[in-house]
Amino acid sequence: MQPWKRMKWLQVVGAALLVLAMAGCGNAKPENSRVILATTTSTRDTGLLDYLIPIFEEKTGYSVDYVAVGTGQALAMGQRGEADVLLVHSPADEKKLVEDGTADSRRLVMHNDFIIVGPPDDPAGIKGSKKAAEAFQKIADAGALFISRGDESGTHKKELAIWKQIGLEPAGQTWYQETGSGMADTLNVAAEKGGYCLTDRGTYLYRKDTLGLDIMVEGDPILLNIYHVMTINPKKFDKVNAEGAKAFADFLLAEETQKLIAEYGVDKYGQPLFFADGGKTEEELMNQQ
Amino acid sequence: MQAFRLLIQGDPEILRVTLLTLRVSGTATLVSLLLGLPIGLILALTEFPGRRFLISLINTGMGLPPVVVGLWVSIFLWRYGPLGFLGLMYTPTAMIIAQAVIATPMVAGIAMAGIAQLDPKLSLQIQALGASRWQLWWLLIREARLSILAAVIGGFGAVISEVGASQMVGGNILHKTRVLTTATVMEVAKGHFDMAIALSLILMLLAYGVTLLLTLLQHRRRPS
Amino acid sequence: MSAVLEVEDLKVYRGKRLVLDVPSLAVEEGEVLAVIGPNGAGKSTLLEALALLTPASMTYRFGGRTVRLPDEALALRRQMAVVFQRPLLLDGTVFDNVALGLRLRRVPEAEVRQRVNTWLERFGVAHLARRHSWTLSGGEAQRVSLARALVLQPRVLFLDEPFGPLDVLTRSAILQDLRAILRSAGVTALFVTHDFTEIPPMADRVAVLMEGRIRQTGTPREVFARPADDAVRQLVRAAADLVRLLE
Repeated sequence: MQPWKRMKWLQVVGAALLVLAMAGCGNAKPENSRVILATTTSTRDTGLLDYLIPIFEEKTGYSVDYVAVGTGQALAMGQRGEADVLLVHSPADEKKLVEDGTADSRRLVMHNDFIIVGPPDDPAGIKGSKKAAEAFQKIADAGALFISRGDESGTHKKELAIWKQIGLEPAGQTWYQETGSGMADTLNVAAEKGGYCLTDRGTYLYRKDTLGLDIMVEGDPILLNIYHVMTINPKKFDKVNAEGAKAFADFLLAEETQKLIAEYGVDKYGQPLFFADGGKTEEELMNQQ
Repeated sequence: MQAFRLLIQGDPEILRVTLLTLRVSGTATLVSLLLGLPIGLILALTEFPGRRFLISLINTGMGLPPVVVGLWVSIFLWRYGPLGFLGLMYTPTAMIIAQAVIATPMVAGIAMAGIAQLDPKLSLQIQALGASRWQLWWLLIREARLSILAAVIGGFGAVISEVGASQMVGGNILHKTRVLTTATVMEVAKGHFDMAIALSLILMLLAYGVTLLLTLLQHRRRPS
Repeated sequence: MSAVLEVEDLKVYRGKRLVLDVPSLAVEEGEVLAVIGPNGAGKSTLLEALALLTPASMTYRFGGRTVRLPDEALALRRQMAVVFQRPLLLDGTVFDNVALGLRLRRVPEAEVRQRVNTWLERFGVAHLARRHSWTLSGGEAQRVSLARALVLQPRVLFLDEPFGPLDVLTRSAILQDLRAILRSAGVTALFVTHDFTEIPPMADRVAVLMEGRIRQTGTPREVFARPADDAVRQLVRAAADLVRLLE
């Protein structure tokens, strides 16, 4: 052991470490090609984004980093200018972002619908109800277990809107439990505990085989789950990659992409997970039902 | 079981996530070594005002919950945060920073304890042999190298198994910031239990490797 | 005789307490000066101050020249060597331990090898060169520690109770070897001990240190015959009783 040779050796190692550390930083350079998309867990958990984004990246050279969080957090990221583009499903909140100038465009991309699922033995007897509100009333009357996202996601907000319709405050009721997690997690909990749950159809179909939960209520217009793409206003947030955001929004609404969305999942589930709605307005969609 | 098939066949996705995990956590550990070792040395070998306060900070830092680190690193790295101009949020570098923040107090604390465990006269003896300040430090590090190695391995074990901070500053972005822990959480959420189990097996294997290394090291320790 | 090392107004404080107060002390060329005193007298502190290992306020002359401290401390430390009570060997082979000081001075490796082997031989531990330092017995380790110091050919060698923890047989064997080596090489040494029985074979001169102050200096014979005060007399008498008991 010769310390002085070791000393040099240490210097070499130190230099190597530094280079390594910098290599670790290599792909961190801020580039114009980087687009940050804030979206909901449902678009990730259905696999749709992992399917579409590589196509977009291939086509345009942009690189999309998507952060899948609850709609509440996605919208908050938009409001702080931390994301360039949002793909979300909470129309009432979305409009606020347009009104306060956070978003400079908001376009309808697609929809699927929410459904109420529950254990096959249907303890509250809601199966076949035409209206979601009616089913919720029955669940409350029966005191049957209801599992809520409780995370201010689009799904959670939709659920709260339905409770509001029947003038009931579910929070705090013994039969009402909040998971504070994503859709798939919440479905897991509902399946484990044998509770009812409001879910988007896509995530449910994707998970159906392992869950053991049945569809109880579907088709009520209030249950429409509408996704909009919103670009964040560069006039308000100078660091936003406006071009990249616009490119991604345009891509989602392009004819070929819309076709891909409409076909996504058909081969696996026999039905599409999303309905492509490029060019339509929300009103047209509601009246369609 | 499907999980084992995924592992044995070397599922490319799993491989990629594992490599990224090793790169991120490995780099974070190296960074924490470069920062924590001098801090530990200075605290162990010198006297200065505020030293006690720093030691208490280090001790607090050793028990810092990763999500707290994640939140604070996020606040700094957000586009409109103080370091936003670097554009580091949701990048591996952000994760390296967060993990280094988690591991540095650990490395510093254990290195400090390792040096402090040495015979206090040893430092005098080395100086008496004609060592300059740097030579002295190098020799003391060398004497305490088993403790320091333990610190490094411990730090690596901590950051590789940490999920809160990685999720928050990395965002679990496919091919970019998706590491073993965040991927496991996500796969469980998606109901892909096979994938989740496969990922968790790798994590367990790594954790076991780390523990094994530590144990081996402890057995090689100077008989006292 | 000229002094290799001289200090004046040496003061060491621990916090606010003055633990060492030596108006002047000199180590002459080629002599072995023993510093003796009871436990807690400040012997080790004195040694560490003279070896420039602990902060002290003093005027320090080395080889007749007044030295600027701490600027020149490293250069001076490289002209001295210290052996402590415990061997304090580093993790590594015996050879590497003995070679360490030379390597710190960036002595060419060929010369290192030659000098290390010479000194391992003189202390009778050449056969241990490849052994790891942790595997040595106490006596072996202290011999290695002595070789590690003497290989540096120091202008002054400091010995801080280097035989304290050794058993009597081992101690007397090493003591004899060391005395022969010091005499033949003409090494200047300052030797700290609380044990009077080590003085007659080793020391040319004795300094008695009590409570941080030097009470008396002189040849061993002088100090034994004419202790300067009651405290020194008591210290000497205790040792003399022990010697008489043995005889």
